Formats: sequence, structure tokens, C-alpha cells
Amino acid sequence: MAKLFERRLTPADSPLAVLATTSAAFLAAMLVAAFLFLSYDASPFQAYFALFHEPFATLRGFGYALVRASPLALIALGTIVSWRSGFSYLGFEGCFVIGAAAAGWLALWTAPGLPIGPIPFILFLPLAILGAFLAGGLWAGLVGLVRAGLGGNEVLISLMSNYVAIFVLQYLVSGPLRAPGSLPETRLFPRTTWLPFILPGTRAHAGILIAIIAAVLVWVLLKKMPLGYELIVTGFSPSAAKYAGIDVGRRLVLAAFFAGGLGGVAGLTEVLGSQHRLMDGISGGVGFVGVVVALLARLNPMAVIPTALLYGGMSVGADAMQRRASIPSSITFILQSLAVLLVLAFEALRYYKINFGFFRGAPPSVVEQVPK
Amino acid sequence: MKHTLEMRNIVKRFPGVIANNRVNLTIRAGEIHALLGENGAGKSTLMQILYGFHPMDSGEIFMDGEEILLRSPKDAIALGIGMVHQEFMLVRPFSVVENTVLGLREGSGPFLDLQRASERLKELSNRHGLALDPAARVGTLPIGVQQRVEILKLLYRDARLLILDEPTAVLTPQEKNQLFAILRKLKEDGRSVVIVTHKLGEIMECADRVTVMRDGQVVATREIAATSEQELTRLMVGRDVNLRANKVDQEPGAPVLQVHDLRVNDESGREKVCGLSLEVHAGEILGIAGVDGNGQSELCEALLHLRRIQRGKVLVNGGEVTHQSVAKHRASGISYVPADRRRVGSVTEMSVADNAVLGLQRKYMRGLFRNSSEARKSAETLATRFGIRSSGIDQAAGKLSGGNLQKLILGREIMRGAAVLFVEQPTRGLDVGAVESVWQELLAARKEGKAILLISAELDELLNLADRIAVMFEGRIMGTVETATASVEAIGLMMAGIRPSETIAVGPTRKELRHGETL
Repeated sequence: MAKLFERRLTPADSPLAVLATTSAAFLAAMLVAAFLFLSYDASPFQAYFALFHEPFATLRGFGYALVRASPLALIALGTIVSWRSGFSYLGFEGCFVIGAAAAGWLALWTAPGLPIGPIPFILFLPLAILGAFLAGGLWAGLVGLVRAGLGGNEVLISLMSNYVAIFVLQYLVSGPLRAPGSLPETRLFPRTTWLPFILPGTRAHAGILIAIIAAVLVWVLLKKMPLGYELIVTGFSPSAAKYAGIDVGRRLVLAAFFAGGLGGVAGLTEVLGSQHRLMDGISGGVGFVGVVVALLARLNPMAVIPTALLYGGMSVGADAMQRRASIPSSITFILQSLAVLLVLAFEALRYYKINFGFFRGAPPSVVEQVPK
Repeated sequence: MKHTLEMRNIVKRFPGVIANNRVNLTIRAGEIHALLGENGAGKSTLMQILYGFHPMDSGEIFMDGEEILLRSPKDAIALGIGMVHQEFMLVRPFSVVENTVLGLREGSGPFLDLQRASERLKELSNRHGLALDPAARVGTLPIGVQQRVEILKLLYRDARLLILDEPTAVLTPQEKNQLFAILRKLKEDGRSVVIVTHKLGEIMECADRVTVMRDGQVVATREIAATSEQELTRLMVGRDVNLRANKVDQEPGAPVLQVHDLRVNDESGREKVCGLSLEVHAGEILGIAGVDGNGQSELCEALLHLRRIQRGKVLVNGGEVTHQSVAKHRASGISYVPADRRRVGSVTEMSVADNAVLGLQRKYMRGLFRNSSEARKSAETLATRFGIRSSGIDQAAGKLSGGNLQKLILGREIMRGAAVLFVEQPTRGLDVGAVESVWQELLAARKEGKAILLISAELDELLNLADRIAVMFEGRIMGTVETATASVEAIGLMMAGIRPSETIAVGPTRKELRHGETL
């Protein structure tokens, strides 16, 4: 009767158990992906060394990891706000682009002679954050309104709205905001609008600080404020929320607004922090990868920053690997996707415990605990 | 002795509890066996093990002396064990025959042979007195008939042992009698029936033997002929329960809740409450009797503005609240204990502490933030005062037993200090012990002077608690009677839609019904 693995009644949810299963999932993903390297005659060990050495052991690489992590983290936070409120929003790609456009437009307007004119960064930043947040928030809020007012399907509408946003940006950079020259892009933003670089000798910018502050704010909202409680009740059970006197429709729109706002700020960190101009194709899927980061962080705002850093770091490492060993960076995407799948699948492992009595031939503990 | 089923030493553990602790149960061929026990006594778990829903941790199950292995309901069905769940597993837009063949491969290749299935259904239906039309859409059938569809599904699969979980919870007295007649026919046919229930009267009426469970263990198995309701109650709860509530006579106060000519539609736009008027006074319980689905839920939802009111007025303490938001309704002094405890009255994924502030989330504040220590303190008070058994206020509310969850919701709504309390089916699915404590709390609230609107399908409950009983049928009040002088027959007739010619009071008029003097 004794089994090596015994089923638990409740999942082990200590931080150690979570860490152990997550690490096991990552290791398993790396093991599977290791076979992919073999076809390039590359040693998986060397490849993995390159993958993690660059972003986490070199200053320059770490700087890039921070750059990649900032928008991912902000979008993941947006995902947490909307999904925990029961609003399955998938339009972060669009919010990112709209937020970037808003921040970029404001940045361009600080040139002498334009509506804002030259202002110091300390004044510009809050203005830009507000602008990007409002733009992204209204963009997503519209989807929220459709869902709350007309009962539309937010997954479908938000996915479609991504394309609209991307075309809006295309229009802007090839029309009204286009800089003289051949490429469809804007002029470089004035220096005074750039996010400051925070690590000397790297490209790391203050976007990561914005993301950290946002993570704390989201945590406070969900854990400490009555509005957060109402959002979570709405997410778990709209009928219970209505019963409790919570205006479910308004909460949904609000959740969509916050989520979209965070997505917009993610766009801001990208254009003010690293591109310094608007151009077509700046999003490149970050709006979806951010959702994945949120899932990996198990919708916990406090786990978002490390997860985003890991994810961002891996894509930096992937580029380095491709440059140095000519191993396609898509292998890393396979690895990342495998990691997500396995982390989610390995949740089930927390329902089991290893029965060390197995080796001694002891009976299973379940029966032992039944009182006589 | 054909088809004897024996469960030996069944052990099943759930987080924090042993649901079944070395349980033995023998079911003979051709008997109706009642499984009696309070909620959380482990009877549903035991039956779910028998149906292959849950794996057991240890134990053995024998059929006709041979050990059987039940890994899934599929195994159980193959062995002739079938179950009718409390909530029916029917596809409403499908016909009876389509529902029956669902999951089976009837016909040849990829094609269904519904014709042949229909004929077999008709034959089965006639033989067992089920009176079912195979072509009828399930969604259009009354609840009692839907239940028969479930039974027919099992017979179609040739189940020898039928498990019925709380089969009478939703039935009218007439439907109940029909069900019992069907069960007796099945018995004569040599099949065994297990009914899981906590209604003693029904067990005495239709079962041959009864097994009583308490705290996960079998307390006793008795022949019905050799036992009594008193003995079974004692076995079930471990003490004598007084299921006669001690209602103190008291003079009701001023009218607190007034409803005039209320009209409410359901989702599809059909009128479910058709010009209903009523009045509840302070310190009074007005009972609403009626079979489920006659507009009671819509009435309750409309009174809290969870559902739009088409016409009419709702006044609380003289102030009109008809079209105000739910939050304003609550603020005006209305509390509501909904029938659906797990989806409306609570959020099962959240903790007991979080559920204790549902609807009060903006009451415990420290500046902009939630004052969680205050909220937790009030949750502790609630748990102590209402005797909620849990592993602590951080336990997920969904893991509470039905009775404890109901005490949590009822306690929360009472402690809010509202003037009006709507209570909908407060003891549905609860065991005797929990029913008793819910009743006590409702009477205590009445004594405090709350105006209580009690909607219940249990006549017994209304007769015990209510000062007046209004009977609802198809959205109208058929009549209102003083409980003290009410006759069960008259109420039963009104529940069936027959306006009694000689009852004390007829129609929804309330003026001549000034009550209380004689109580």
C-alpha cells in the first residue's frame, strides 16, 4: 500500500514549496530545451551559461535586463488589476502603443515654440505619466464600458483593439508626427524629456523605478483599500458583489481603466527611457509577454518585479547567445514558453508529498492519522 | 440475496476533517435505505465514493460478495450504481431522450438512433410509472418531472442501485408523494434505493431501513418499523432537539416595510411578481409560503434592487427606496440573507474574515485604508456569537459546512443592525442542529424588534416562526393567514394555486388582517 508519492489534501503553499516547484519547473524546461541546442552542435551548458551570464553577471547586460523588465512589469501589474477584477483584458499591446504615443506627443511638444515649450524634467515627468496613464486608461476603459454596458466579450474586443491602436501609431508616425527623412518615425525627443539613466555605463533608466512604485501601489490598492476588496469580490463572484452593494459595472470599468493606465505607462517607459522617439512596431509583443509574466507571478503584485527581471534578462541573454554562438534566439522563446507551461503544470506537484517511509516499508501515513 | 452492496471500513479525509471514519454500510437488494445525518456528517461523501466521484483513502466495497473498484462514475454506472444529484445534471434545451442518451453511444457508427432510444424510454417510463414524454424539452418541465428524467436516465442505464441526494428538497407535497410511489415501484422491481436526507418524516414514510451518520461515523442502522423519529433525532444529533421553536407572543410595532403593487419581470421579460402588496411590522415575522419558482426569488431580489422593479413602490420606515441602488437599500436599513449561500451570500474563495465584512467593506476604515484589525475583531465576535465552527477566521468560507456558512451570513446581516431582514430559504440543506440555531437567531432578531420577511418552501419552518403566512402562487399572494389559526390543508391548497373558499382571509388585502391581538 505504501506509495512513494502521497497525495495531499491541500496543496503545500509554503513559500518554500512554491519556490521548489517553480524551480523544478524551470529546470525541467531547461532540460527539455537543452535538446534543441544539440542540433546546433552547441553544448547546452555553454549555451545556458551564456544565456544567464550576460544579463545577470555583466553590468551592461543587467542594464538591458532592467530596460526590458520595466514595461513587462507594468503590463503584468495591469494584468493583475484587471484579471483579479474578473475582467479578462488582453489589449495591453494597444494600451502600450497608445500610452507611448501620448507620452511621445507630450515630449515632442516640449520643443521650443510648441504648446508646452521647454519645461524641466521634474515638471514634465508627472505630466507625461498622467498623459500616458489617461490615454491607456481611456483606451482600455472603452472596452470596459462595452463589457459593462452591453455585455460584450472583452477578450475579443480587447484583442481586436490592439490592431486599431497599432494602426493609430502607424498613422501618427507616418503622418502628423513624422520627422523629415525617409523612415516613418518622429524626431528624437528633447533631452529634457528622457528618463534619467540610473546605472552608469548602462542603458538602465528610471522606468524600473516607476515599475517598482507601481507594484507597491497595486499591492496597496488590492490589499489595503476597500476599492481593492470590492474589485476582488467582483472578480470572484459578480453576483455576490452586487448583493454587497458594489456597483459591478463601474468597478469593471474602473479596473479596465487602471489596467490600461498601467499599460500606457509601460509604453511611456519604453519611449522616454530607451527609444527616445516614436516609431512603428515599438510594442513587438510586449503586451502579451507581460500577461505571461503576470501569470508566472501568480497574479501577485509583489512577485512581478523579480519575474519580469528574469524574463527580461532571458531575452537579453538570448540576443547575446545569438550574437556570440549563432544560436537562434527563438530557442530562448521556446524555453520561456516551456517554463510558463511547466510552472503552471507543476502546480499540481504541490498536492503531493514524498513519503520517506516508503524506503523503510512503513504504511501510508493517512491511515495512521485516523483516530481509533 | 441478489445485488447486495457492502461498504467496509471506508476512510476518507478532507483538509482538516475525516469525512468518513471506518464506515460500514450494507444495502440489501430491493430495499429503500435512508442515509440520515446532519450536514457534514459525511453521508454525501460516502455516496460520492460509492458513485466513484471521490477515491477513498482506504476501505473495501463489495457487490454480491465480490470486491469492486470504483475509479470514476463510469465504473459505478457499469456496475449498475447510479446517482441523482441534488442539482440535476440535465441539459435544459435538450429533450428527455437526448438527455438520456447523453454520454452513451446509441445507434450505429456516428449516427444516433433516437427513435429506438425513445421507444425504450417509453417502455421504461410506463413500467415504472414515470409518465414521461421522451420528446419533451427538459427546460420546460417542472422540477419534479425533471427529477423523474434523472431517474429515467439511471433506469435506461439499468442501474440496480439508485442513490438520490436530498430528493425532496425542491418538491411540492404532491410531487413528493409521486416520487415515493415511484421509489416503491423500483423496490418491487428488485432495485435498491438509497436516499440521502435529513428529513425524518420522509424516512419514516418511505424507507425500509435507515443508517444514521454523525461526525463521519455510522452511529446506527435500524429497521424503520423498530424505530421512532425521536430515536433517530437523538442518534443524528447526539441529543434531543426541540424542533418546536419557542416563539414568545409579542405585540408587533409600527409597519417598517411596505410594498405596494409590486411588479417584477424575469430575465426573459415574463412577469414573475404580479402586483404584490405586503406590509411587515417591527417585531414580526411575515412568512411567504409557496413552491419554489413562484416569484419568491424575484420578489426578494427586487426588494433589494438586485432586479429592476417594473411598477410599484417599496417603503422602508416610510421612506421610498424603490429604485435606489443596492448600496442605498442596504444603508436604508435592509439586510438580506439570500437563498444561494455559496454564490450570492458569500464569496467562497475568500476567508471567513473577508466574508464577515461583505457589504460592510467601507465601514471599517482607517483614513483611506481598510482597518483590517477592526474588521477581524468583528469577524471574531461574529464567529463567537453565532457559534461558527471553523479552523479560524482565515479559513476559506467555501470550506465551511452549509450550516456554518449560513450562520456566518445570517450573523453578518443581523449584526449590521438593520431594521428589515429578508431571509430566503434560510435552512435549505441544513441539518437539524443548524436549523435549530438559525431558528433561534431569527426569533431573537424578532424579539429585538426587527421586521422579518421569511421566504421558505418549508411549511414547518413557517408554522414555527412566522406570525402570519402569506402564500405565493404564480407571482400573486393567494391569501394570508394568521399562523395561530392556520390550517396546513388550506395553505397546501393555496400553494397549489387553489383559492380556498372558506379560509379565514382571502386576497392580498391587509387591512382586515390586523394581527397579534389573539397571539
